[in-house]
Amino acid sequence: MRGGAIPLVVWGGVLAVLLALNWLWTGDMIQVASFAFAVLTVVGWVLALVSRRPRQALRRGPPAGAGEPQAVPAASYGSVLLAVGAASAVFGFAFGHFPIYFGAGVMVVAAGLIGRELRAERQARARWRDGGRR
Amino acid sequence: MARPAPPAGQGSRSAGWIGGLTSTDHKRIGLNLAVCSLVFFLIAGVLALVMRAQLSQPDNHIVSDQAYTELFTMHGSTMIYLFVTPMAIALAMYLVPLQIGALSIAGGRAALAGFWTWLLGGLVMQSGWLTAAGPGRDGWFSYVPLSETPYTPGTGQNLWVLGVILAVAGMFIMAGCVLATIARHRAPGMALLRMPPFTWTALVTVLMVVGSFPVLIVAMILLYLDRTTAAHIYSGFNGIIDYQDLFWFFGHPVVYVMFFPYLGCAAEAIATSAHKRWFGYKAFVASMMAFSGLSMSVWAHHMFITGGSFNEFFAFTSTLLIVPAGIEYFDMFGTLIGGALVLRSSMLFGLTFFVQFLIGGVSGIFTASPVLDYAANDTYFVIAHFHYTLFAGSIFGFFAGVYHWFPKISGVLLRERLGKLQWALMVVGTNMTFFPMFIVGGEGMPRRISRYPQHPGWGTLNLIESIGSAIIAAGVLVFIYNLWVSLRTPEPAGSDPWQGHSLEWWTTSPPPALNFEAPLPPITSYAPLQDLREQAEDEAREQEPATA
Repeated sequence: MRGGAIPLVVWGGVLAVLLALNWLWTGDMIQVASFAFAVLTVVGWVLALVSRRPRQALRRGPPAGAGEPQAVPAASYGSVLLAVGAASAVFGFAFGHFPIYFGAGVMVVAAGLIGRELRAERQARARWRDGGRR
Repeated sequence: MARPAPPAGQGSRSAGWIGGLTSTDHKRIGLNLAVCSLVFFLIAGVLALVMRAQLSQPDNHIVSDQAYTELFTMHGSTMIYLFVTPMAIALAMYLVPLQIGALSIAGGRAALAGFWTWLLGGLVMQSGWLTAAGPGRDGWFSYVPLSETPYTPGTGQNLWVLGVILAVAGMFIMAGCVLATIARHRAPGMALLRMPPFTWTALVTVLMVVGSFPVLIVAMILLYLDRTTAAHIYSGFNGIIDYQDLFWFFGHPVVYVMFFPYLGCAAEAIATSAHKRWFGYKAFVASMMAFSGLSMSVWAHHMFITGGSFNEFFAFTSTLLIVPAGIEYFDMFGTLIGGALVLRSSMLFGLTFFVQFLIGGVSGIFTASPVLDYAANDTYFVIAHFHYTLFAGSIFGFFAGVYHWFPKISGVLLRERLGKLQWALMVVGTNMTFFPMFIVGGEGMPRRISRYPQHPGWGTLNLIESIGSAIIAAGVLVFIYNLWVSLRTPEPAGSDPWQGHSLEWWTTSPPPALNFEAPLPPITSYAPLQDLREQAEDEAREQEPATA
């Protein structure tokens, strides 16, 4: 994590300078708005990173060693179904209501499956911590 | 490694093809994305061959005017939304965690959902072929008012718009996962200025994706509303210009999204084949940041002739791109000078990437000048420029990456002779196809016409272009044959066949589920394995006098 936000800060800075130049030079609001959106997206990422680990995200240097155990999922049916549901719903905009309702239903099922997967992950982490104590 | 080995058993573990398609392993997602992208590449290639057959002679009648517009629209859309851009993300998805010593990708589920969203978006886009009105037919940028319902009625164009929304959303999600991985999952010791060149190119790529792709999604949602309701969002001159601004705010950065990772492939292939570190690393990193930032602010050079853009600003920023681009070339020469060069296929493709991209880049400087662009716009000159950057450039960088990393991904070596044959065919075919386009474009031959009249020289040059495209196709067939032969009668590659520089060569080929089984070596530079080799050489040298 250490320094993870630094390239975003630098890149966001470059974009902000170019945004200012664009604003001063052209004054075209749709251009300024598009550019400002990109800058704000990068700022949002920086804030997200900094809010998780305030000191680490902006500190230079190599990352330190192990922290919390990391649960790595092997597979996820829920994620696949979420994408299938979303695509079905979007497809329905061109081909009628049924794919929209079907897609919405699939997304609900997908959310449930992802919830189960996340719970299993939490339990696995807890087991790992208990095992570590023993 | 970044974290202690995780407990097993999270999520559901399935074997076989279902397991492969639901896996959250970044390597499997990257491979799935790459394979599907390659299928789309073959589809786009077939469409291109039909177009070239149509244009091989003046006043030809192989396909109708409408079929031709569908062909060039779907060729461009498939190449950009479904091959070159997703392939760039696939390379990042597979390689970045390995290069930075991470166990996995951040947000594996999101990455998997992103892959499926992209794939289904691609299928939705291609499903337009099955509709009565045919698929999208307004070009890959689908300008308004042409793409509004009165001028392009039918479901096919709607499916094109919806397909683009899904595909771009999927790539946005996957890029976010790569960005989070670089920010949060680097191994102990892997400081930002110790990340390999490819990872830096991947980082600036995903930064551009997260900054620019949502704008296209918004533009396409508004276009869809315009097409299906009486919203009149893009009405009048301002509406048309606003659409172009929104589109090109995505459309130009995506050109660099389709360039930077392939630059990284070429850089890694060249440095490894030269047995030398990539030269000028810090200047390279700085130039990447400047290059990617600048390339976010040049988009309206596509709109010089509209009368709705501030040409001076965009001509200025477009011309500034020469500076960071020049640094890449300086670094490439610095790496070659004094290196122990081995001209294997990856090296040949990497060097050709730089040479051919130079032609595309220099012709881009012409079109960055509004005065010259007024003449070149909408002619074959622009087609030639564009294809010299993205085909003659990026695709050669892609193949440099394929020949460099295929042994790591599969555990087997690709055949070198076939690789060199493919390279030769593709160099000849590419230059035969795209160089004459500069000439016919300079003479004013417009782009996007299904037939052209008898004109001195145009028939011959177009015939040469069509023959060249067939030679490119032969090169691609040789590549497919090479894949088949190499996988059918494998020559084991071992973990590090090229004496690679970065951490992916530390692990087995193919890498295990959580990437690394052995502890990582000390990471003190952007080429940790080269450090180990040099350290061993130094120690051997020190011991020599003692033993003597």
